[in-house]
Amino acid sequence: MNQAPDSSVTKPTKLAAQIKDLTKHYVLKSETVRALRGISFDVPEGDYVAIMGPSGSGKSTLLNLLGCLDRPTAGNYVLGTDDVAQMTDDQLSEVRASRIGFVFQSYNLIAQLSVVENIEVPLYYMGQLNAKSRERSTQLATMVGLGERLGHRPPQLSGGQQQRVAIARSLVNDPYFILADEATGNLDSVTTEEILALFQRLNDEGRTIIMVTHEDEVSAHAKRVIWLRDGEIQSDEPVTERKVFTAEQIDAISKNAEVRH
Amino acid sequence: MRLFRTWKLGLKSLLLHPMRSALTVLGIFIGVASVIWLLAIGEGISREAQKQIEDLGAENIIVRSVKPPDTSSGNFSDIVDFGVTRAEAEMIRLTVPTLKGVVPIRELPQSFIYNGNKNAKPVDGRLVGCTPEYMEITRLVVDRGHFLTHRELDGKLSVCVISAVLANRLFPSEDPIGKQMYLPEKQEYFSIVGVLKERSATAAIGGSLAAQDFSLDVYIPITTMYQRMGDREVKRTGGSFSINSFQLSQITLQVAEVDDVPRTAKLIEATLRANSNGKERQDIAVVVPFELLEQARTTRLMFMMFMGLIAAISLIVGGIGIMNIMLATVTERTREIGIRRALGGKRSDITWQFLVETISLSVVGGLTGVLGGLLCPWAVSLARWSVAEFAPSFYQNLPEVAKIMSPQIVPESIPIAFFISVIVGVVFGIYPAIRAAKMDPIEALRHE
Ligand SMILES: Nc1ncnc2c1ncn2[C@@H]1O[C@H](COP(=O)(O)OP(=O)(O)OP(=O)(O)O)[C@@H](O)[C@H]1O
Ligand SMILES: [Mg+2]
Repeated sequence: MNQAPDSSVTKPTKLAAQIKDLTKHYVLKSETVRALRGISFDVPEGDYVAIMGPSGSGKSTLLNLLGCLDRPTAGNYVLGTDDVAQMTDDQLSEVRASRIGFVFQSYNLIAQLSVVENIEVPLYYMGQLNAKSRERSTQLATMVGLGERLGHRPPQLSGGQQQRVAIARSLVNDPYFILADEATGNLDSVTTEEILALFQRLNDEGRTIIMVTHEDEVSAHAKRVIWLRDGEIQSDEPVTERKVFTAEQIDAISKNAEVRH
Repeated sequence: MRLFRTWKLGLKSLLLHPMRSALTVLGIFIGVASVIWLLAIGEGISREAQKQIEDLGAENIIVRSVKPPDTSSGNFSDIVDFGVTRAEAEMIRLTVPTLKGVVPIRELPQSFIYNGNKNAKPVDGRLVGCTPEYMEITRLVVDRGHFLTHRELDGKLSVCVISAVLANRLFPSEDPIGKQMYLPEKQEYFSIVGVLKERSATAAIGGSLAAQDFSLDVYIPITTMYQRMGDREVKRTGGSFSINSFQLSQITLQVAEVDDVPRTAKLIEATLRANSNGKERQDIAVVVPFELLEQARTTRLMFMMFMGLIAAISLIVGGIGIMNIMLATVTERTREIGIRRALGGKRSDITWQFLVETISLSVVGGLTGVLGGLLCPWAVSLARWSVAEFAPSFYQNLPEVAKIMSPQIVPESIPIAFFISVIVGVVFGIYPAIRAAKMDPIEALRHE
């Protein structure tokens, strides 16, 4: 599709993101919530990270910071080569449009737009909407198995299909990484498998993926798990017994997905 | 390209709620249409008023005789003596240098009948004693024959000139010229020497000058009138008699230079009022169309401003409607705003997205409003026609202006109304749009 990213897997030294002493406090009227209390880790390109931890441990807060939806109270966050902590609101918007792909638990598609139009939204904000971009969006829709449903609107699709549209959308700007906050939280186990197979395929192609999840089933597919507790990293370890879909399985699941929906 | 996209998107979301959008547009439509309507009607009314005053002649001064309030006890022998006199008219003519003409007029309600058809029902009209100059001063136009001449005036001849409507009523199939007209109340005969063209009525001006309907007039030399009928009129009201004595109903004075009108009017009024030893005279009224015209112009301005104010209020109401809807829309679409921000939409993108929607609404309202405004003259005549058709008695009671006024679209009102509507869209749309843009993306995403 676009530049072959396979090479990056062999160069793990190149970093997609560097996080150092990242702190986030929410100042409320009566108290200050210290959601993140100094978090440091690096994300090499091509990594596949699962962030886990109990409810309220700061997973979403961290992911929002990584996604440039919010600015840290203190600490550094270097995306590629730029320190995001110092950026203005408009610059953050530009970063979100051009370098980050989001996949949300509740899909977050725009109801009045069709499948392709939804995939195109980040390009619209990058000012890169043209005939070529439409072609690319169509390709992405086909890749996630929705080539036949370009003109459909989100309410006409199943949850799994909507999530696949969201994944296609997260890829359209060729991002540094894909951020997924409980992307499979609303899906049944079969559909979860489909999405995970899709993630693995993307990761195999060189995409960096960071996902938040509660389920061991899901995190077992990642290469690395970061455990958070009370806003701090409790552990950061590679997955020893990683569950991997074989190429045949990926093919089969994709085909099944086609048949099922 | 991008703007076009934004616009397309805006229209799409507006069409998602067609009813809601239509109602919002309706608010602006009414505002804009009412601007154009009110200004057009205001202009129509004031033009009509001006025309009527101009019909009286801006260079004229009118002195009317006014019957003083009834002080008599209804006694038979009471004679009410009032009004301007022939002597005063002559005095004015001889002493006031700025005048070009002095026309004494005496009017009587009278019924008329064609001598050759005496069994017919008499037609009620107005007998006007006047001089040849009356024609010019009142802007009458002769259709056939001629108006009264000085020879007829000096010779006190029994001739008359009749109006077009009367001619049609009395002589439906004959040429009235040369025929005899009979006045049953006075038992007098007049031979017809001229027929006038139709002339529109003038409305009442102020309290002192009644509406003048020229349609049933018969004009005779004032000298003849005095010789044949004298100054006294017996009036029967119920069972009692009263006798009015007046020499003239009106003197119309024509001033040579319009600029001299106010000065001359003051002089004449002062002279006439002082005439009766020390006591202010109450049996005359001086009407100065020139001053009325000036007044009418200021009144027009105030009227227009007033109309403009009402229209502005309705536009503001329309704007508030837009704002209300947009605030609801913004809340309703919080989630979408969050998604768009997360996917890279800047604050300004969100502002524009909503602003484009309000501007579209107000532009559509503005355009349709202009169209609706242009229908004003047509709609007014339709309304007038239907009132006349289905509620004739109500129509009869309408004020004269309402019957004859035709709305004049003020050309400037169209662009003004349109641009105001766009501005209203922006002004009332900007707050909801900014509110949308200010939302925290994370909060917005969490909104359900
Ligand atoms: N906008 C906010 N204002 C105040 N406190 C907040 C805000 N967002 C998050 N918090 C607090 O920060 C802490 C971390 O929240 P966060 O949403 O990151 O948890 P999480 O790990 O994603 O939990 P879950 O698994 O339930 O989604 C919590 O105590 C939460 O109450
Ligand atoms: Mg969370």
